Amino acid sequence: MLETLNWIERYFDEVTDAVFIFKEEQLLVSNQLAKSLQTELNIDPNYLAEVANTSVKQKLSPTDDCFKCSIRNLMKEISIPITLANDKLHPLEYFLIYHVIDADNHIFSLTLKSRGIIERMDQVAEQKQLNQYVNRAHEEERKKISADLHDSIAQGVYSAIMGVRRLQEESLDEASTKALAQIIERQLNDTLTEVKGMALDIRPSVLDNFGLLPALRVLAQRTEENSGVDVEVVGKAETDQLSTNVQSVLYRIAQESIHNALKHAQASEISLLLVAHDHFINLEIIDNGVGFDIPKHRQFNGRSLGLMNMNERVKALNGSFEISSEPGNGTTVTAKFPITHLKGAH
Amino acid sequence: MSLENVDTQHDYQHLVNHIYQVDDFDFVGVALYATDQSTIKWYFVAGNQNEQFRKIVLRSGIGIAGLVVRTGKPFWKNSLQDYEYTDKMYTPIARVESLQNAAAVPIYLSAVKLVGGVLLAGYRSNHPVSNETTSRLSQYLDTF
Repeated sequence: MLETLNWIERYFDEVTDAVFIFKEEQLLVSNQLAKSLQTELNIDPNYLAEVANTSVKQKLSPTDDCFKCSIRNLMKEISIPITLANDKLHPLEYFLIYHVIDADNHIFSLTLKSRGIIERMDQVAEQKQLNQYVNRAHEEERKKISADLHDSIAQGVYSAIMGVRRLQEESLDEASTKALAQIIERQLNDTLTEVKGMALDIRPSVLDNFGLLPALRVLAQRTEENSGVDVEVVGKAETDQLSTNVQSVLYRIAQESIHNALKHAQASEISLLLVAHDHFINLEIIDNGVGFDIPKHRQFNGRSLGLMNMNERVKALNGSFEISSEPGNGTTVTAKFPITHLKGAH
Repeated sequence: MSLENVDTQHDYQHLVNHIYQVDDFDFVGVALYATDQSTIKWYFVAGNQNEQFRKIVLRSGIGIAGLVVRTGKPFWKNSLQDYEYTDKMYTPIARVESLQNAAAVPIYLSAVKLVGGVLLAGYRSNHPVSNETTSRLSQYLDTF
């Protein structure tokens, strides 16, 4: 028991928040960090107690609309943002947390938590969440590829095998043999088309071999064939000098935006504009679809990474990313990247 | 084009026109395989609201017409506008022609069991399609 008390005392001294415990406005005990702060920053603990006190009074004041609010009365802690060392070069921002330990004996604690640390923790949490999203998206993508391989490719090859087996085993006359051969050829042809389409969806070789603009043209062509929707590509850019990363991200943004425009916006016309200027390259994807309310879609929707992913990818390469849309007025997605001077852009 | 001469092409146009005139469909179309068997596209239509259909390349197994191509059997579906772009039932021709309900039957160019094309007809209104619609379409093909 004594041992445990020792540990608790040690923890109290070593914890990274400054803790003061008061009894009836008098400082009773404080931990190591609180003492250091007190000496280094010249903080009067009574000042902190007074700040907390006024704040508590304020919250319980009858002029407040929320007096007697049952939720507030249940709150054991009150936190107050406070800036210490105001006169110094780097003021320190803290949360002062007021906590009643023993109401009958008027014992309460004040804890100073650094706001910087709290913000950093929020960032870390956000990063973790994003990582999870990315992982989930990767898994979803694999699931889709696997399903496509199984449903269309494997099935097509299987039917072709069955056809060849029939050719071997059945004694068919010349006309039937020819017809069956034609059917098999058709099946293999369809399968080939599917394989090519999948390869294009996963990673277009055009992008690696011929650059961004031809890749966008192929994407537009394929979209038109699959959907019947008009996709126009207007380009005025030499993309040879562009880094592979930027080209890939621009391509993915175009792909995702087209996909969104077809799937969610029911667009009947989509325009892609790729224009290079002296120091930046700009890609715009404009559709005439139903549009959407952007704030509602900022959060992760549980299925696709969509907007959030696009934004993250662009930010990682120092670009900027913007979506403007409102219900009934189509959507415009803009991505812009800084570049060093492009050869032959003008 | 899988058709040998201009006469048969003219005949398919004649067929879709005929069905469009005598029946109550809002759109009638025929898609045929290219000579090299690689692509299948809409060549003959009646009641179209734009020229978008020319851009579509049918995918075997996707959408009404694609399913008819793959299976060689008639197929019909109502409420087509409910399907999204990535769905297996997303039918591009229904999207560009705003068809709610449509039915399609295979076209066999010779006696062999090789689908040469698709005859599709549909409604922009809520007029439903059923087995009866596909058998009506088959009859048009038989008497053609």
